[in-house]
Amino acid sequence: MGTANRLTPWLFLAPAVVVLGIALLYPIGYMIYASFLSWSPSERIGDAEWIGWRNYTNLWTDEAFRESFLVTLKFAAAVVTIEMVLGVGLALLLDRKLRGMTVLRTIFILPMMIAPIVVGLMWRYMYHPTVGVFNRTLKSLGFDGAPWLSDGTWAFWSVVIADVWQWTPFIFILALAAMQSLPRSALEAAEIDGATEWQKIWYIKIPLMMPVLIVTLLLRLIDAFKVLEVILVLTNGGPGLSTEIVALRIFRTAQEFQELGEAAAMSNVLLLMLMALTILMVGYNWLQERRAMRLRVVAETGK
Amino acid sequence: MMMNLMKPAALALAGIAFSGAALADPYDAYRGQTVVANFPAHPHYDAVMKVLPQFTEETGIKVEVDQLQYLKMREKQTLELTKRRGEYDLIGYVVFSKADYVFADQLENLAKYFMNPKLADPTYDADDLIDGYVQNIGVAGGTKGYLPGKTGSLFGLPFGSETSVLAYRKDIFEKHGIDVPENYDQLLDAACKVPEVEDGMGGMASRAASGHQASHAFLLHLAPLGGRVFDDQWNPIINNEAGVAAANALKTIVDCGPEGSQTFGPSEAAASFMQGDSAMFMDSIAFAANFENPEKSKVAGKVGYALHPEGVRRGSQTGGFGIAIPKNAENKEAAFLLMQWLTSKKGDLAVAMQGGNPSRFSTYENADLNEKYPYSATFGEALKYADPDWRPIIPVWGKINADIGTTMSKVLTEDLDPQEALDGVAERAEAIMDDAGYYTWR
Amino acid sequence: MTDTRRANPAFYALLVALIVMSLGPILLMLATSFKMNVDVYDSGVSAFFFTPTIANYEEVLCDVLWYEPASVDYCDPTFGRALGNSLIIALISTALTLTIGCMAAYALVRFRFMGRGVVSTTTLLMRMVPPAVLLVPIFGIWTFQFGLDRTFSGIILVYTAMNLPFVIWILQSFIVQVPVQLEEAARMDGANPFQTFFLVVLPLIKPGLAAAAIFTFRIAWNEFLLANALLGRNTRTVPVTIVNSITEYDINWGVIMATGMLLAIPPILFTLVASKQIITGMTAGAVKG
Repeated sequence: MGTANRLTPWLFLAPAVVVLGIALLYPIGYMIYASFLSWSPSERIGDAEWIGWRNYTNLWTDEAFRESFLVTLKFAAAVVTIEMVLGVGLALLLDRKLRGMTVLRTIFILPMMIAPIVVGLMWRYMYHPTVGVFNRTLKSLGFDGAPWLSDGTWAFWSVVIADVWQWTPFIFILALAAMQSLPRSALEAAEIDGATEWQKIWYIKIPLMMPVLIVTLLLRLIDAFKVLEVILVLTNGGPGLSTEIVALRIFRTAQEFQELGEAAAMSNVLLLMLMALTILMVGYNWLQERRAMRLRVVAETGK
Repeated sequence: MMMNLMKPAALALAGIAFSGAALADPYDAYRGQTVVANFPAHPHYDAVMKVLPQFTEETGIKVEVDQLQYLKMREKQTLELTKRRGEYDLIGYVVFSKADYVFADQLENLAKYFMNPKLADPTYDADDLIDGYVQNIGVAGGTKGYLPGKTGSLFGLPFGSETSVLAYRKDIFEKHGIDVPENYDQLLDAACKVPEVEDGMGGMASRAASGHQASHAFLLHLAPLGGRVFDDQWNPIINNEAGVAAANALKTIVDCGPEGSQTFGPSEAAASFMQGDSAMFMDSIAFAANFENPEKSKVAGKVGYALHPEGVRRGSQTGGFGIAIPKNAENKEAAFLLMQWLTSKKGDLAVAMQGGNPSRFSTYENADLNEKYPYSATFGEALKYADPDWRPIIPVWGKINADIGTTMSKVLTEDLDPQEALDGVAERAEAIMDDAGYYTWR
Repeated sequence: MTDTRRANPAFYALLVALIVMSLGPILLMLATSFKMNVDVYDSGVSAFFFTPTIANYEEVLCDVLWYEPASVDYCDPTFGRALGNSLIIALISTALTLTIGCMAAYALVRFRFMGRGVVSTTTLLMRMVPPAVLLVPIFGIWTFQFGLDRTFSGIILVYTAMNLPFVIWILQSFIVQVPVQLEEAARMDGANPFQTFFLVVLPLIKPGLAAAAIFTFRIAWNEFLLANALLGRNTRTVPVTIVNSITEYDINWGVIMATGMLLAIPPILFTLVASKQIITGMTAGAVKG
């Protein structure tokens, strides 16, 4: 192998490495450094005071941050659970030859493509206490309007509903694809044995889909921690702190309170959490691949 | 003989005309320059937009305006002002930004402009500017750092300044025999009586959304009820009896208010009033022009205006905006000329006639204005009780303000006990103040 | 899949309900964008049946219209400008991301070299970095070190970096499927690696490129947070303009929904035209991991 050959992959990689280095790795390093500073946007980063771990210890004692941390966990758990159940459930129901399935799938992915800002606006309009469709419908039926965004618990679930609306299709599409690529032989064998529809779902479809479902779940979980714009527009974290997720807290700490160091420390905490989830996902995938490979080896040598 | 007499006069006239062309156009040197202004999206500045073409025509200075929602504008400015070369030559700023900007040395001291004979208009008549506004919005460095005082100096001019008044539905009040509230007891009674007697109507529409809005609403009642956020030694006293009374007042108002009140920002509150869903609205005078606009408002002509009711004292808010020149501006002198023109007697009146809020006594006394906007007299009266110290304008205010806001929102929506809530605010505020060095001289 | 029995009415009812739920909010936004503000607030006016008006669109687009709309008394040029900015930024950053991304993906799939594992894992890990985390450092660096604030190139660089990990990841799964024999044949014919890549491999992964392009465009087109912190008066994008225009004094739902609709139209069009590619891209991404 000549040097030219050894260089070739790097020539292909160079632009990506440069861009990622400048605009992703370096900023992350910068942020880690900034998280040890007491830094406001009115001073240069070089003039900011080094305060060691104080931003982190402050976070630990900061009730508001703790609360928004909890809200984030609650939000991610609620959203992912509901979306998985609904998405997989719908996929099971709609897994049949159906004319117009393409049209249907197109309709389902529309919500995902729309800007989070717009999704927030749309739902804010629908949740509006007087002009919103929900309260108008309730009132025309003779009920009282509901406090969609004006009560902590309601607001939390209203935000969850908006996210479920936008992202359930994601799970649905992935689950459906996984289901349609299941080995037909297994299902046919079950049918010959007289398995009921439920038994097929529980003992064959779900277990075989498990690897894809787990990856999907982790992907969604990671994305749920990133949600920001929808909530920013819908509630801006309120009422109280009932919908203030960490990403929003970072945004407000940086732009509203101008505590860049503290915002950087929060960012690091969020990043670590997401890093852990990603490693979990990658690790799981790796295990799956190893197992598949071993099975293949067994199958081949068995022949 | 006649001819002889005429000649010198004609010469003199010609001379005046001539020198007028050369000297009386102080704008000449700046002709063709562009001033980039950053203004809030606010009725006063919407009125300004209609007057600006007149400025360009008279002076030859072009103006480009970037109008933003005011909290977004503040965020943008805090970033923009840190840069070596800023994008804006003139900024409209929210009152509570004064401390941040001046403390970070980001605004031009206006003294050097008013001293400059080429720039300062001798007929400007600064004494005509409303004292309370100038002190609250323009002056920094006096008592407690943010109040007027001997050590203060001028960094901005009030423009789009506001105080609070009570707007109420004359027809509804008359129909049910409700008197216009003069004190807080009457106010709260009226607020809760309306939903009982008028089906589907809320008592008073108030801001209450979590964050800045809820804090603003709370502070609006704190001053008249005798409270303060800090005492003179910067000890938090927000949790004393007056504070609890203010929190309870706000809670009563929101509970008896229109549906969904808990999420209202000023726009939603004003919309509720304009749609006839609430009988009262107590907030900035800036909204009045929209209330009287039949295209936007269903209640035009039915609205009465009264002074902010008295608690243990009179104390309406002082808020709104000022204009200032950033240190990193490019065309500072042209920006000053625009600023001076806008706040001059002529400019102030022109903006007021388009529905803006006057910053000058003379404008409030103007007969044309009072004819066009009959409520102007009440507003002028309200100004006398405007309280410049209704909230502390200190650099750490943003954080304390946000904390008050989220905590108040919890009082309003989660039935958190007001005393407990305010004790928490006081404790956290003390920590923030300590951290910022306010107790260094103890 | 094996269902041949007649589906019962409940099944079709469910389908209809699902369609209504997905489309309802979007249609409501569309309807409201043609509604006068007075009608929005009037509870006597139905959500979908009313006298439509294009005044809201005229107000938003007054700057780029060829005529002067009668309904607009003061024309605010910001939205028209923002629409142009958004297009430039999204298109250029998508093109850049794809070019850089497919080259990198190719290198990771087809070459075995020192450091491959590190590059591959780092890329994968960076996929999860949320924009909120980048807010502080990107603002600081771009403004005070690079002097790229307020510029198109600044935000394009950010978006390219943000989307690269995803694009590299998704394209890998498409490149793997290209038969190696084709490339070897090309190399036999004397093509250098770059020619092989651009002339042989690229045309074969078009579906993957299409999917990646749509996802990249969508993120660049929709992003708010970093655009808000970085861009200036003249370079602002549509999402930033929308948030800036929600004022405290006069919420005009018709106009807001019209701006929202304009922002939503390009992604909706893409979806209608290329839903197959989008679904392929999504599934490829998840299954590959």
